[in-house]
Amino acid sequence: MLKKYLLIYFECIKISVSTAITYRLNFLLDNFIMIVSNILFPLVTLLIYGSGAEFPGWSLYEVLLIQAVFTMSTAVANIFFNGLLWATMHHVIDGSLEIVLIKPVDCLFYLIASTVDFSSTSLLIGGIIMFAVALSHVGAVTALMVLQFIVLFLAGVCVMMGISLIMAATSFKWVGNSRLPEIFNSIKYFGRYPQNIFPKAISAFTSFIIPVAMIGYFPAAALLGEADVTAFAIILPCLAFTAAGVLLFRHMVHLYEGVGG
Amino acid sequence: MAIIDVKNLTKTYYTYRRGSGFTAVLKSFFRRERVCVNAVQDVSFQVEEGEIAGILGPNGAGKSTTIKMLTGSLYPTSGYISVMGYTPYRDRKTYVNHIGAVFGQKSQLIWDIPPIDSFHMNKAIYSIPDKEFRKTLDELTGMFGLEDVIEKPTRVLSLGERMKCEFVMAMLHRPKIVFLDEPTIGLDVIAKQRIRSFIREMNRHGVTFILTTHDLEDVEQLARKVIIINHGKKVFDDTLQNLKMNLGAKKIIRLVLTKPMAEIKLGGIKVIEKNSDFEYTLEVSLENSSINTVVKQLAEMCEFSDISIKELPMEKIITEIYENKDVQ
Repeated sequence: MLKKYLLIYFECIKISVSTAITYRLNFLLDNFIMIVSNILFPLVTLLIYGSGAEFPGWSLYEVLLIQAVFTMSTAVANIFFNGLLWATMHHVIDGSLEIVLIKPVDCLFYLIASTVDFSSTSLLIGGIIMFAVALSHVGAVTALMVLQFIVLFLAGVCVMMGISLIMAATSFKWVGNSRLPEIFNSIKYFGRYPQNIFPKAISAFTSFIIPVAMIGYFPAAALLGEADVTAFAIILPCLAFTAAGVLLFRHMVHLYEGVGG
Repeated sequence: MAIIDVKNLTKTYYTYRRGSGFTAVLKSFFRRERVCVNAVQDVSFQVEEGEIAGILGPNGAGKSTTIKMLTGSLYPTSGYISVMGYTPYRDRKTYVNHIGAVFGQKSQLIWDIPPIDSFHMNKAIYSIPDKEFRKTLDELTGMFGLEDVIEKPTRVLSLGERMKCEFVMAMLHRPKIVFLDEPTIGLDVIAKQRIRSFIREMNRHGVTFILTTHDLEDVEQLARKVIIINHGKKVFDDTLQNLKMNLGAKKIIRLVLTKPMAEIKLGGIKVIEKNSDFEYTLEVSLENSSINTVVKQLAEMCEFSDISIKELPMEKIITEIYENKDVQ
């Protein structure tokens, strides 16, 4: 079974690469736009610190580190599962989810696998470079910190996936509403700032309800040696959030099977 | 042996009526009227193994809903479905390994890449061994003459070529039953014939086909069994031969005359529409004569600049079935 799913995933990657090669210019342009639109944000941070202002208690490179982690997480999400929303929307509008449902494969897996998109490769590379630069300015990093970072980063990717799943699931009901991603994106952006600059209520929301703080802040905090028990405890709401996304999506597919588009 | 057994199949769902016209739309913004749609009502039928069964009906009759329930992608509201011993909606993931489907209006091919890559995707999905995949692919592409076509991107293919590739895609895993939803829609005569002869050929190899269509010609050339659905209800379920016997052999002829004629009178011909003294639509009964004779008689009687011969439209067939109480 696992072998079958790996083979399908491999085919999907092959198809995605073939498509990218077919539309070379489009692929390059997508990559360019993706990096330009996302790199502007750290530039604002540079401007803030350049003008003498700052996030209280945070150095420029510490803030950039959070934003680099957030950028990497966004790139990973864009490459591996953010296409789910558009694919679902497209199938719901066209009433063509049957095409997926008649295949002997998990519907959610297939939709995620078939929308792998490498247009954010440049963003991932950009994020990694930014990450390396920021990291080289924040002091020594131990192996334990790296391990903590990896665990928390993966939890953050799970949150990204949960958001993607919830957006895709809601698109079953609010057919073709392109405003939905905007709301979720706005919430996500709370994750790219140091959390202690927010009022308690907001940081509780971004840690426990929709744990977007895990996307950028907590993994970066681990590399700064500031990951405490709370950071690891928040992995739990992250996993719960992703699980909620999976369940909601599956429920919506079930409803779709009830009415057929 | 019945490979498909459907008993009292019913599908009901709710939708909202939005109304037409600005006032109605405005009203629906505040209060929407919930309407119950009886898409399929109490439909029962059986299909034998190795058969080609046609589900006929006008647009919105419930054909596609029935097919969706048979493929397992839609839950019935009530009723019993058994296909090869599986309950499609309950055993969907195992069941769909044994079926294939072609939807005339929904493509399974990936738009930007050549069909061969989509075929490889199905190879992975259905876990088809390399050797078997190659053999089946060669066989199927050979039958359609698609050897060169499958290497070109799907988006540059003609509709006919694309439909043929859709068939290859649906047959690669050698399904026992194939569901076809309007498989010849929008195709030209030659492409339709190629697809029909492919279906016949695969059927000779033991594949059971269920096809929905509103093209009577598809059914005439392929199906032995005909199920007619109208407004979600089954109105006819018998052999094609019996359908023909009940309806009588009839054709529709449309004539455009060069000289006006007040009326057209000929044995076995009924004028069903007259737009002017130049344009007639005739219903021709072919029980006692051939279409050849009728055209000859018409040519002797009047001068025409255009003539078209068509099958009875679906609506007409259904009306005739309703009128003929003995059919069911």
